[in-house]
Amino acid sequence: MRISTIALANLKRRKGKALFLTVGIAIGIGTVVAMLSLGSSIQQEVGAQLDRFGANILIVPQSNSLALDYGGVSVPGVAFDVHQLENGDIQRIREIPYHDRLAVIAPKVLSAADVEGQQAVLAGVDFKQELKLRRWWAIKGRTPESEDEVLIGYEAARALSLISSPAAVALPHAEHSGHQSSADVQFTITRNQIHINGLNHHVAGVIAPTGGPEDRMVFGSLAHIQKLVNKPGQLNVIEVSALCKGCPVEDIVNQISSKLPHAKVSAVQQAVKARTEMVDRITRFSAVVGAVVLVIGALMIFTTMMGSVVERTKEIGVLRAIGFRRTHIMKGLFIEVAIVSVLGGWLGWISGLLASWLALPYFSETSTRPDFHPVLLLFAICAALLIGILSSIYPALRASKLDPSEAVRYI
Amino acid sequence: MAFISIEKVTKTYNDQSGSAAVPVLAELDAAISEGEFICLMGPSGSGKSTVLTIVGAMNRPTHGKVIVDGIDVYALSDERRADFRREYIGFVFQQHHLMPYLDVLENVMLPLATASISSREKKERATSVLERVGLADKATRLPNQLSGGEQGRVAIARALVNDPPLILADEPSGTLDTRTGNEIMDVFRQLNDQGQTIFMVTHNNENAALAHRVLNIRDGALVGEGRPQSDRGTSLTSGSPASLLTYE
Repeated sequence: MRISTIALANLKRRKGKALFLTVGIAIGIGTVVAMLSLGSSIQQEVGAQLDRFGANILIVPQSNSLALDYGGVSVPGVAFDVHQLENGDIQRIREIPYHDRLAVIAPKVLSAADVEGQQAVLAGVDFKQELKLRRWWAIKGRTPESEDEVLIGYEAARALSLISSPAAVALPHAEHSGHQSSADVQFTITRNQIHINGLNHHVAGVIAPTGGPEDRMVFGSLAHIQKLVNKPGQLNVIEVSALCKGCPVEDIVNQISSKLPHAKVSAVQQAVKARTEMVDRITRFSAVVGAVVLVIGALMIFTTMMGSVVERTKEIGVLRAIGFRRTHIMKGLFIEVAIVSVLGGWLGWISGLLASWLALPYFSETSTRPDFHPVLLLFAICAALLIGILSSIYPALRASKLDPSEAVRYI
Repeated sequence: MAFISIEKVTKTYNDQSGSAAVPVLAELDAAISEGEFICLMGPSGSGKSTVLTIVGAMNRPTHGKVIVDGIDVYALSDERRADFRREYIGFVFQQHHLMPYLDVLENVMLPLATASISSREKKERATSVLERVGLADKATRLPNQLSGGEQGRVAIARALVNDPPLILADEPSGTLDTRTGNEIMDVFRQLNDQGQTIFMVTHNNENAALAHRVLNIRDGALVGEGRPQSDRGTSLTSGSPASLLTYE
């Protein structure tokens, strides 16, 4: 016979109330667990989707430029002291401490070139990396696989008469709005051989219109274009996409800067802010809903325990009369609440994960399974215990302060 | 020196509005020796139960002192007074007030729940007192599976399990039929014969006849003290007539 024996026997005796409390705590904790679990999965998805919108770090050669004005005549800026980026810089970027946060490193060399007698911007890229970065590209044809193959932007292809006239899909709103999305434009490649700087190349594919600068560009493999434009090993820009769910972009920028002192490294603030704001909003929403549910749970425990204390006035009076200290009475009530809370927390963890598993398909397009963080179980039990104990402090104090003589006046 | 000394104890309660003090006890003095069986008698509302709770370290008097075994009970802190109750006093309530969700053995062990002794020793002590009251064979029953008299004996066993020097009983046979009530009173008589100090509140003259002394209280003041004329050796269950009390 210990105080815990009495607490356990009391719970068995009041099975209905114990069950009500357990279910109440389980619902509260389950909601929070489901919110956290769903929130975590949605955050990851949002982060992944935002990452598809492109790079969030831009690396360009460090240079100084002067705007010249002579006799009222403006002369275009003159760049001097230019430090070129080179192929070796890619490896240096991969050596930063946060290298595991780097999803894509997309180097480019850019140059004007003579394409079929017209001037066009020629870009040498690592297609594997570039396509990870530009997931919105819809390619008619295929990705270049050999050095003499190129990918051509939609406007450039039209100017070079490589594709047939476009036929827009009859979408009423698109016609009215006067613009077409890439998915709406249908075209066929009519010619697949072009000359660039006098050399024959095969057109592997044409990028559907994006509305971006790539529409007017010709893309080839990095090494081949570097040779073609006589810039062996040189790069004009490196785009980096860092995995951004809670990633310290500024730290990554600093680490790359220290590795490439000759380059200008900058975070694309808009993308970074969009990601962090979206993630923050989801986190705040989850926290607010969770807090409201937990407060309701705490009030439920409070009222139930207060009711229980009133109901047990005589019993507590007898215990006090036979020598139970105030602390013994409180201990007994806390043990009851702790048992119910741990059980409720555990059930809440299970039901929360189950609920998030069932609900995730309605909130997420890609994730079908919530994250099963073992730490959530610890959180669920600790949170349930904390809420249970905190909500029971006043009822327990009140029980312990019951005057035994008042209680035994009626016995 | 008296085992229990009640010195000029006064008790007033506030009325329901809280504005007026209602006197319940007025400068009560009494002394009880170790091994005595004392009955406190008086009409309803005379202050009997208040005296019992004050002696039982549960109800602080407005004025005056209660000294038990040399301890000024109300000079103790609340928690120490709880310890005092556990170590010095065994309560037997009119309604018995057994915990309905604990079996007989567990009910008897209840005062030992906070004691720093092994579970085995707790069980041994509880079983031993259950044997003393003749209920060892019903240790695993729940209170609602017992008769009123058996419940009363469990309540007595619970009061005895800590081996307290003093038993306080408030109308222990008040709710029982005559035969069952007499069974319970026999247990008290036997305990007292073994040297147990007993302070009992009762309305019943037959019960009072078992006591060494009877204190009579009226309107919060002791109005008499007497010795019952009955033969304490006669068992009440054997059908002895109600005793007459004489007051000195």
